[in-house]
Amino acid sequence: MKIKTIPKYTVYLLLVLAASIPLFFDIKMPNKPVDSSAATFKSLMTLEKGDTVLLGTDWTGSTRGESKAELIAILRILMRKEVKFAMWSSADAQSPRCAQDVITEVNAMMKKEGSREYKQWEDWVQAGFYPNSDVAINNVGQDVKKMFSPKRGTDSTGKLRSVMESPVLEKIQKIEDFKLVIDVTASKTSDFHVQFISSHKVPMIFAVTGVMVPETDVYYNSGQIAGFLGGLKGVYDVEVMMDKGLNVPDKDGKIEVASTKVTDQIAGFPGKDNTGSGSKYYPTLHFALALMIVLVVIGNVEMAMARKGAKNS
Amino acid sequence: MNLELYYALSKAAGVVVTVGLFSVLYKENKFYRFCEHLFLGLAAGWAAVGVWTESLHTIWYDRMMGTVDEAGKAQSGGHWIYAALLPVGFMSYMVFSKKHNWMARVPLGIVLGVWSGQQIQAYFDTYGPQVRAGMKPIIGTSGFLVPGADSGINPQVIAANVYWSQAISNFLFMFTLVSVLSYFLFSFEVKNKIILKVNIMGRYLLMIGFGAIFGTTVMMRFTLVIDRMYFIWNEFFYKTLFHGK
Repeated sequence: MKIKTIPKYTVYLLLVLAASIPLFFDIKMPNKPVDSSAATFKSLMTLEKGDTVLLGTDWTGSTRGESKAELIAILRILMRKEVKFAMWSSADAQSPRCAQDVITEVNAMMKKEGSREYKQWEDWVQAGFYPNSDVAINNVGQDVKKMFSPKRGTDSTGKLRSVMESPVLEKIQKIEDFKLVIDVTASKTSDFHVQFISSHKVPMIFAVTGVMVPETDVYYNSGQIAGFLGGLKGVYDVEVMMDKGLNVPDKDGKIEVASTKVTDQIAGFPGKDNTGSGSKYYPTLHFALALMIVLVVIGNVEMAMARKGAKNS
Repeated sequence: MNLELYYALSKAAGVVVTVGLFSVLYKENKFYRFCEHLFLGLAAGWAAVGVWTESLHTIWYDRMMGTVDEAGKAQSGGHWIYAALLPVGFMSYMVFSKKHNWMARVPLGIVLGVWSGQQIQAYFDTYGPQVRAGMKPIIGTSGFLVPGADSGINPQVIAANVYWSQAISNFLFMFTLVSVLSYFLFSFEVKNKIILKVNIMGRYLLMIGFGAIFGTTVMMRFTLVIDRMYFIWNEFFYKTLFHGK
């Protein structure tokens, strides 16, 4: 029995077209944020000016489509709310470079919208890369001051000093002093955060890839983390909430973006440019998925017909 | 070289390598192999330098040698005890020696010891809260549907009640939990007909779970393809070549 109706090169070509053509159009998708995205949005929006968060970035170019988009959305919120952050990595030596490029990109966005640009040392610090994720994350949970003290950065006068002396980390003595622990990850570091930091009673949120959504959902549903952004859907959710707020009624009293689990009214950043990769990629993803479903159906029908034909002959 | 030209060339290189890696879809070819090896070499080189500059230099070398400021003044003293770590690390390479490969077990033993010690904490902090959260009420105390944010009911009152839609959802959760656990009863032969049925249900529910995981995996892979297409069409052709806004 041989099935050969659609050549594989045609399938590849169709996929390239489905993954490219919708990118040229501004397509609006109806959307209801999932609970985990709404909870993440709440955790980020309740931060106040001057708060400090620990931001783990454990992704590289291989998951750029999701992880970079998640980091951009998170950084936009942190920078608009003037929250300081200490960035660190433990999964891959490429991670710090990838994240620093994103900070540069988001700074350019902030400049374009007339907001203040973030300065290294004053507003954020690079706390370094540490191999052996499990041991590194355990050490951060046990003694963050001892862990980050050897890492030096250039202060505003050009002197090399320990990052713990920076305005970002000078008040941090232990992990509980951070208002929020964030991990943008494409690896097992989310598990290690749960294993070694969750017992310290510091709120944690993750931004994970689509593959990791089912396993991360367990942590969210059991209350081990405050929320998480799951893949492209998570990015689109947070971009929509940044634009329209959460549980915020419009002039007619109608709530466009609502969540039954997160009942607080949280205003977003109306009037600002909140679109990012989520808004650009999410509609395109639907076209690609629709193509896949059509091809699966065609393949199954073909197979059924071929079997029937073989039986009859 | 001006900065604009540098960015244009780096993006062009990105496009060439992306096309090169996708070319394997046509057939195995030398261009694909070249791009693959280029990536492996870059990643290995970057990792070696990154581990030294970002990690070993600060957490080992600086602690051993001490640090100085720009003027050459001592900032922190060195602790030579850190030098003792070097031979321990090098012992790992003794795995290549037939005569002295026992030495490689020393660093391996240290790593295993650290890992094993951590697992007690890791296990309880991972599964303890999950077991506690697994005890869910399966009997409703109020209406069927959970009132929405615009219902005017105090959110704390909503949170304090168990609505029947939630109770049904909790029951499905409990049933799935018990049936999947029963699937893993390998220590003895299950003969009870009811447990056998629950056992089979557990297998099907596991399949549904794997299907959901596969679905999210497919979505992620498609997102990566879309991102590459965006890079080629928008970031390179539209913005870099044609200076689009």
